[in-house]
Amino acid sequence: MKLDIAGSEHIPGATEALWRALNDPAVLRRCIPGCQNMEETSPDAYKIEMQLKVGAVSGSFQGEIALADKEPPKSCTISVSGAGSLGHGTGTARFTVEPDGAMSRLVYQGTGEIGGLVAGVGQRILKSASKYLIGRFFVALRQELENPIRTTAA
Amino acid sequence: MSRPSGELKFVSAKRRVREDRRFVAGRGRYVADIALDNMLHVAVVPSRYPAARIVSIDASAALAMPGVAYVLTGDRLANAVDPLLNGLDTPNVKRYPLAVGQARYVGEWVAAVVADTRALAEDACEKVVVEYEPLPFVIDTEQALDPSSPPVHPEHGSNVLLDKTFVWGEVERDFAESPRQLTFRVVWGRSSTVPIETFGVAAKWDPWGEILDVWASIQMPKYPDQIARALRIPANSVRVHHDVDVGGSYGVKRGIKQTVLTAHLARTLDRPVRLIEDRLDNMRAGDAHGPERIFDVEVAFNDEGIVRSVKMRALDNVGAYAGRSPFQLGKPIGAIVGPYQIKSVQYRAQAVTSNKAAQEAVRGFGQAPTNYAIETAIDKVARAVGLDRIEVRRRNFIRKEQFPYLIPSGTQYDSGDYHTVLAKVLAHADYDGLKREQAELRARGLLAGIGIAACLEPSGGNSSFEPLLNEKNTTTTWMDSCRIHVDALGFVTVTIHTTSSGQGHETLAATVVGEVLEVDPDHIRVVRPDSLASLPSNSPVGSRMAIMLGGACFHAAHKLKDKLVRIGAKQLGRPENEVAYARGAVTAGGATLSWTDLITIAHRNFHLLPEGMEPGLETMHVEQVPTGSKLPENGRVQMYPCHSFEFHLILIAVDPLTGKPEIPRYVIGHDCGTVINPHIVRGMTLGGIAHGIGAALLEEFVYDGEGQMLTQSFMDYLLPSAHEVPKVEIVHHCTPSPFTVLGQKGSGESGYLGSPAAISGAINDAVAPLGISFSKLPIRIAEISDAIAGAAVSRAEEQR
Repeated sequence: MKLDIAGSEHIPGATEALWRALNDPAVLRRCIPGCQNMEETSPDAYKIEMQLKVGAVSGSFQGEIALADKEPPKSCTISVSGAGSLGHGTGTARFTVEPDGAMSRLVYQGTGEIGGLVAGVGQRILKSASKYLIGRFFVALRQELENPIRTTAA
Repeated sequence: MSRPSGELKFVSAKRRVREDRRFVAGRGRYVADIALDNMLHVAVVPSRYPAARIVSIDASAALAMPGVAYVLTGDRLANAVDPLLNGLDTPNVKRYPLAVGQARYVGEWVAAVVADTRALAEDACEKVVVEYEPLPFVIDTEQALDPSSPPVHPEHGSNVLLDKTFVWGEVERDFAESPRQLTFRVVWGRSSTVPIETFGVAAKWDPWGEILDVWASIQMPKYPDQIARALRIPANSVRVHHDVDVGGSYGVKRGIKQTVLTAHLARTLDRPVRLIEDRLDNMRAGDAHGPERIFDVEVAFNDEGIVRSVKMRALDNVGAYAGRSPFQLGKPIGAIVGPYQIKSVQYRAQAVTSNKAAQEAVRGFGQAPTNYAIETAIDKVARAVGLDRIEVRRRNFIRKEQFPYLIPSGTQYDSGDYHTVLAKVLAHADYDGLKREQAELRARGLLAGIGIAACLEPSGGNSSFEPLLNEKNTTTTWMDSCRIHVDALGFVTVTIHTTSSGQGHETLAATVVGEVLEVDPDHIRVVRPDSLASLPSNSPVGSRMAIMLGGACFHAAHKLKDKLVRIGAKQLGRPENEVAYARGAVTAGGATLSWTDLITIAHRNFHLLPEGMEPGLETMHVEQVPTGSKLPENGRVQMYPCHSFEFHLILIAVDPLTGKPEIPRYVIGHDCGTVINPHIVRGMTLGGIAHGIGAALLEEFVYDGEGQMLTQSFMDYLLPSAHEVPKVEIVHHCTPSPFTVLGQKGSGESGYLGSPAAISGAINDAVAPLGISFSKLPIRIAEISDAIAGAAVSRAEEQR
């Protein structure tokens, strides 16, 4: 089934700091919900292992993440594909970072396609679950940026 | 062997259903209760894609887990077993228990993992890495019919499995001569029976005895033969244990792919193996979905509402494999005109494959969808000529004195009295009062509609649709059997030769044998030998067992009674026609031989037996299906022998804001001839109506545009519950069948065959004042409320 994802978030700090964080595998590993492991396979390409719970089902997900069409420190396309006991999914999203006073604004928009167990059992809550997972990502990301000591320590 | 004259003692009496005791006490013996030593458990890896080439399967991580015994792939399995039975002549539509080379629907089993426990096997499934190459797929029924659609089986060349047009009678002339015509389309959504107990099977191979033991939750005709063929072993190496209770089926427990897979694993691993589907396995790939059908109907009629001819095209989306499902387009040919005097019919039966789960038989074998199309036609004719829907049915009904009645497609209806059943229902329900109630509901701001359905339940289950749709098939019997043994102490034991899935066959057999022998049925034991010790049986399909097992029991009991009479007559020195049999004793002129005397002679006194009689006391009978003994000629054939009748009259109220329908009144008139056990018939009818409510309002296996199945659990596949199922009032009538031993007809599909049509009719009557209608089942609450809201918007726009 198809899934549309779009939204915007305010993150504290300058756009450059946000851009750096979004390109740092260590930050992403801590911020992506359920991320067990993330390793770089080539520049801007990563292998990721996740353990997730969506509605009535929980399980594992192994996938690849790639960043493309980079326009530092402004804009980037991220694509994800993978599969696991939860099912399989592919998705592409474009995100744009722009200054907004003392904060940065991150706008994202994308589409995904999901199949297997999640589509069959969790579809009724998939939209809210994806919102929840994205929300968790940004909560963690804000913490990273509000606490730069931890970021640099990593 | 005539019908019992005089009063029936046990048949039709409200006697307790003997099976109920163990079920109510929780002491049924289901397949999950079968514990075999050293048993392994199976879980399956489902396909993620609706169509994909299987590039590779890497099971090494799964096999490395402790407790994992084996991982089987489709390629390996295909080398060891033959394809599963396909009743049509489509040799290139091959079906194996696992996907071979290519997966054809989401959820299809791609690999099987065997481990010490089911939980371990499930965990190991997650470690099986399957590399797929996604292929083009087709989900939509009409797209599948399009020659440019990707074929589900490329070797077959197209998605068309069946496309056969029958013309019975002078259809074109009747259409030309009819002053009025109408056309419409209705769609029956993909639903099924969805039993609480999913399918399960346990198998054990004994290499030294060369025998395969099978315990299964099964309702499959010729099951041992199909297992033997697929496994390439002699049929007498397959022993199916029939003493397993089946926790619900109504057609779908055909589990042949599950059984062949499990049996193959048991042979390969030399250990007992069990596969019990969980709900997800069952819903998405138990291959147990029901018909999904588009009907395009043309009706020719006159100003008086008399229907003269019908053209019907039925297009069924059977899913990824043939199985028995295309035959569900064939069985309704035996009642293609419903209870009406329609002179001619053109019927085009089309079945297409798609990338959805495979279908299996579902209660009525295609009859409920067909009845929905026929009844929609009658409602539309009534509306077109401005007559009451009940009056139009009355005018078109076959009349009592016309039976036996030959319909255009070659089936003779046995008996019926439709006008009387209708009159009894109207009187019971107080039709005028019902209309007043409808008006009151409308006055309160609700939408309210009356629904009517009159339909037949063809019963007796021969298999005439097979030769009708496949000329290479020459089946003209679909027998069932009974053996009766009276032991040396005089106790009666009856054997039946199939599993039961809630139909009460033990009660049926004991009642009929008790009736003939005049022995209390409660003292009769009923047993189920395994398949190697069984007489021929075709399992409880096609609403047939009251007729077929009842007939076999009746004749076997008469043979036994005749033996007793001969033994008694010889001792009393009288001709057989001068002695009387009553309650187990034989009397003549004041002298009596008691049951014990007769049994003792049979078992111990060979010297007293009539000449030529074998010692002991045992009889058997293999019953042929009444009336159905010929192959089809010119597209015509006698389908099932008996035709039960049901007439539904219901009132539905719909909340215009939420769209939620309620059924304040549900009355059904039911005539299934002589009832053998009233409790069983009542249970069948109530359950059937509940099932029909599901099909009409709630249940559907939904696939999205990407071929993903969206309703895999009971959160999304909605079943009727106590909230949705109303109190049902049953009005009985009995028109005995002339073709059966006790006048009995079938009732295993009663209620279900007409309730979806009645509910659809009621909802359409309710919303008719808004100028909207529904032509696809299920009619879900959301669709009702959306349509009502849409109608309000268009009205507001018109007024502006």
